[in-house]
Amino acid sequence: MAYISQYQYYENGGAAPEDANWGSYQYVSLYDIVNNFMLMYSGNHNLVNNEERFKVLFHAKRAVQELNYDAFKEIKVLQLDITDQYRFVLPSDFVNWVRVSVYKNGLLYPLTENIQVNYAKAYLQDHQAKILFDADGNALSPEFSDIDIDRITGQKKSIYLNSGHSFDGYEGYCYNGAWYFTADVAGGWFALNTETANANPTFAIDKTMGVINFSSNIGSGSVVLEYVSDGMENGDDSKVHVNKMFEDYLYAYIEYAILQSKLNVQEYIVRRTQKRKSALLRNAKIRISNIHPGRLLMSMRGKDKWIK
Amino acid sequence: MINTVRNTVLSVLNKNNYGYLSPSDFNLFAKQAQLDIFESYFYQYNYQINKENARQSGSGIADLAKGIEESMDLFSVTRGLNQNTDVAGSYFMPSDTTTGSDYYFVNKVLAYKEIITVGTTTSFLAIGTRLTDSAQRFTTLGIVAGDIVAVETATMGVQYLTVVSVDNNTQITTTGSVLTAAAFSYTIIKAGTQQNEVEKVTHSKITMLNNSIYTAPSTTYPSYSSEESLLQVYPNIITSAGRVIAQYFRYPRDPNWTYSVVTGGEPIFNQSQPDYQDFEVPLDDENNLVMKILQYAGVSIREADVYQFANGEETKENQQEG
Repeated sequence: MAYISQYQYYENGGAAPEDANWGSYQYVSLYDIVNNFMLMYSGNHNLVNNEERFKVLFHAKRAVQELNYDAFKEIKVLQLDITDQYRFVLPSDFVNWVRVSVYKNGLLYPLTENIQVNYAKAYLQDHQAKILFDADGNALSPEFSDIDIDRITGQKKSIYLNSGHSFDGYEGYCYNGAWYFTADVAGGWFALNTETANANPTFAIDKTMGVINFSSNIGSGSVVLEYVSDGMENGDDSKVHVNKMFEDYLYAYIEYAILQSKLNVQEYIVRRTQKRKSALLRNAKIRISNIHPGRLLMSMRGKDKWIK
Repeated sequence: MINTVRNTVLSVLNKNNYGYLSPSDFNLFAKQAQLDIFESYFYQYNYQINKENARQSGSGIADLAKGIEESMDLFSVTRGLNQNTDVAGSYFMPSDTTTGSDYYFVNKVLAYKEIITVGTTTSFLAIGTRLTDSAQRFTTLGIVAGDIVAVETATMGVQYLTVVSVDNNTQITTTGSVLTAAAFSYTIIKAGTQQNEVEKVTHSKITMLNNSIYTAPSTTYPSYSSEESLLQVYPNIITSAGRVIAQYFRYPRDPNWTYSVVTGGEPIFNQSQPDYQDFEVPLDDENNLVMKILQYAGVSIREADVYQFANGEETKENQQEG
């Protein structure tokens, strides 16, 4: 990729969209990675020789994916209103979630993942609990299972201390002849299960169905999902890029990946490339972590604060 | 060079009255000898690369691989490939009829990543510089002077012209004078458009490659496989005239020692004959040519001494070069 002028950078040369090149300098494209590798690391006098370009492309993409999973700090954020079934369909490039929040009254409320499931698949059964099948021998399923229906209709109770809890609003409750207290009655929270002590709605991710199911007490909220993708940009290779901090690591990774699966490469060479790859990854991670003195200073300013 | 080689060969043969070599026999042996030497370049080059990797070769003027590469480059040709319009993405491999020379080794294939438009010419001017297509909208498409026009001609293969001016929506003036007939397929490419290397993929891999989600061929990373005289490019949306270019090593042209009259039983060399063709290998291979022709001549006239002499000389030379 050629260097661009300031005019090209700031205003895309007068073309739309104006912001097409903003921030582009921090990245190196997949095309450049593959091209540079073939040019500099592959050939008659290199460790990598007689290897097809598609193998280099494959390993480059795999490296980009792995980096996207944990090394890059490039979180994608998507805000959507949830459906009337209290569901949020996962984005098309979703790989894993980082944080789910509900956005209400100008504030982001981070939500807790429910440790229990709130969804299930079900089969239709007759009065003897026998499963019903169609003509092809496949089990018949209802649109929703009972647990789904209860969640959608607000019948499902929550073990979390939110509005879905069985004893929400009670100061104490009697159960099997014994009284239990959840509120600050006697000067402290006794026997509080901190794992479920959260007043916000909860969610559980049904990865197979590709949805996040929320507890019904979320209401008609707007949900913000922070997630990681694999950086493949929906198959558009021209948009795949990596931060320049990781450029050398990518070359090292491709070299290692090819050599470690090639016949008759001495083990010490494989080890050498493996060490180089690992060292470069560590360096890049440290660089990308942005440990600035200014940030540390801001964090350390709280150290003298008196805690009552 | 061909006359010197012939004279030397005849001198060696005549010295001991081994016999006479007719011009037609000489031409046959010369062709074989040149082909032998031409093919040996590739093996020598590989040998030198291996020596370099073993740190047994020098740089600068001691760089033997460079010299061999220069000899090979004498036969390097870069030409646009003719389309096979029967199948999408199919092009003809280089040949005498399409690119003007047969290929020994296709070194790389390139494809323009993008094109502006394609079409077929609908009329022409005798001057051959006007590209006219009544179905086009050249001005609207933003074609400007300097853009590239690839034209697939009937007799000259693919020709690359440059837009001199866009006269109107249906007519362009180009450099060159090849547009001397109608119904030429053409492609117009923006000047400076990126060329990507089309990677050769074996038949055992190409199907899997096409089905791969990560590495399926694209206009950025195109691939090809070849079969008979055809080259199939993937993705097969790469279809237009002149979009695919091959750089290959052609076979050397057959040497032809030509003569005009026979004086005193001896043909007199005449290089003005239309079918005259000198050797194409460089001058430093003259000695090799003589030795190889002598070998063939020795076999032909059943003179083992001649063959052994030439073979021994050649072996000595190879040892020195090694």
